[in-house]
Amino acid sequence: MAKTKQKKDTAPRQVAMVFDLNKCIGCQTCSVACKTLWTNEDSTDYQWWCTVNTQPGRGHPRDYEAMGGGYRDGVPQPGRLPARREWGGGWDFNYDEVLYGGKGNSTFLQHVGDEPEWGPNWDEDQGAGEYPNAYYFYLPRLCNHCTKPACVDACPRDAMYKRSEDGIVLRDETRCRGYQFCAEACPYKKVYFNFLRNVSQQCIMCFPRVEQNVAPACARQCPGRAVWFGMLDDAEGPVSQLVNKWKVALPLHPEYGTDANIFYIPPVGPARLHEDHSFDEETPRIPREYLESLFGPKVNAALDTLTTEMAKTKNGRKSKLMDTLIAYWWKDMFKPYDRDPAEIKWK
Amino acid sequence: MKVVKLRLANRTLLDPAAAQWKKVAAEQVVLGATPLHKQPSGHVRAAWAGKAIGSVRSVKVQAAHNGDNIAIRLEWLDDSKDLDHGDGTVFPDAAGVLFPLKGEAELESMGSPEAPVNAWFWRANLPEGEAQELIAKGVGTLEPAPKRQTEARSRWYRGRWQVVFSRPLSVRGDAVRFSARKAAKVAFAVWEGSSQERGGLKSFSKVWQELSIQ
Ligand code: SF4
Ligand code: SF4
Repeated sequence: MAKTKQKKDTAPRQVAMVFDLNKCIGCQTCSVACKTLWTNEDSTDYQWWCTVNTQPGRGHPRDYEAMGGGYRDGVPQPGRLPARREWGGGWDFNYDEVLYGGKGNSTFLQHVGDEPEWGPNWDEDQGAGEYPNAYYFYLPRLCNHCTKPACVDACPRDAMYKRSEDGIVLRDETRCRGYQFCAEACPYKKVYFNFLRNVSQQCIMCFPRVEQNVAPACARQCPGRAVWFGMLDDAEGPVSQLVNKWKVALPLHPEYGTDANIFYIPPVGPARLHEDHSFDEETPRIPREYLESLFGPKVNAALDTLTTEMAKTKNGRKSKLMDTLIAYWWKDMFKPYDRDPAEIKWK
Repeated sequence: MKVVKLRLANRTLLDPAAAQWKKVAAEQVVLGATPLHKQPSGHVRAAWAGKAIGSVRSVKVQAAHNGDNIAIRLEWLDDSKDLDHGDGTVFPDAAGVLFPLKGEAELESMGSPEAPVNAWFWRANLPEGEAQELIAKGVGTLEPAPKRQTEARSRWYRGRWQVVFSRPLSVRGDAVRFSARKAAKVAFAVWEGSSQERGGLKSFSKVWQELSIQ
């Protein structure tokens, strides 16, 4: 059978991000920064390329972790498309009536149209556990610009590719015919569909900003100093230090086999309380098995390193790791992608 | 398969409900599934292992011309009318007519770089009247043809899709040529949207048929 093109599914260099789940406050500034920048046109209202969900929780789309895709031992796994109701979101309100229709005194502002059953942040702050040992944390998610992108491999038209200069996964929308095999294959369910234009869409890692040395919007806008951005092979940069040197930043669901490039500092969590409300330093409040189910077995070593280094600073000693995680100098989190976007004349 | 001459206005020829189509001889063309092992990606093969491809088993084909335009009318059974992506897990129904651009192009692989194919493609969510005109040189290589000269009209009536494609008989550029002297080769495909058929997942007529202009 004729094969006329070569898949571009590998890249010598790779950009990556680290999210510190101990610092993320779930404010959704990252989600909204992305939304206002990239998905505010028609038919993109349900698209949230960056979402922040409470864990434990069912995520977005609902129960995406049970939808398949990715690889097991290098073998492609069957995946399925999420249904619209599993995404939810994109609610409409009677703004026209209340704000502009002269009914401000007689009608309440209320949701109109279909009653949604899910949304991008539906189970916010529900978490798990019982008082006084309830627990939860926030998990920001976007396309992982995977080193082995299942989406790229699934596309029969080679409409998707990994850019060689930085490993960003992109889609040539003029080649995309809306088959959504990419969406089926992505185990993180981070591919959306533009029903108006009949093309799939997803996070583009703000590539026009990256090309101008400006960090992606989700990273730069984070008020919590919880996000680092940089080249994975920049050995002195914080991303590489956290991922490769300290090994405290881990990909989500490494068992999906796509080698994700969004990394997470796992949450240490506060101490458990005994019944008499004294501290229980022995049992972690966030069960280790739960964190292992998200970040794999390496989470244990990562948490051990984090607690050891935290103890050092508690005792008045220096910890290079803690200095990096505290991020005294905001711009150091993105160097050299630390240019102010306001200075640039965007075309 | 004969392309009979009808004295009809172009508009009527393109109308799937036009009474004149009733008089045109029809051929029931058997369709078969694209083989799973030929699907071009491991993920597509994994997701479809054990699922049936090719829901639509046959298509009724009629062909006519009025001296200016040629029209091909397809009709097939479909009790689910999929006009769009519905709940997000289905696809709009679609149909296509395929011609080799020269000689004996390979049908199952959608041609090759040496022997490309020309497709007329209708999908239920395209604007009424619109058909896509495409060129392929192998699996996954469909590109829009440089010039679009084909139209399509459709209706779903009592559990059947009826779609008419129409194009001027003589055209320029990369497009199939019709002549009274030599029969053209043609093949057909149908995608059942409610079964998530799209792209290479379809039913198609496995051998080229002959189309002779009367
Ligand atoms: S997260 Fe999904 S869409 Fe993004 S690169 Fe990986 S497989 Fe592709
Ligand atoms: S902007 Fe920062 S702190 Fe806020 S939700 Fe996003 S990652 Fe968390």
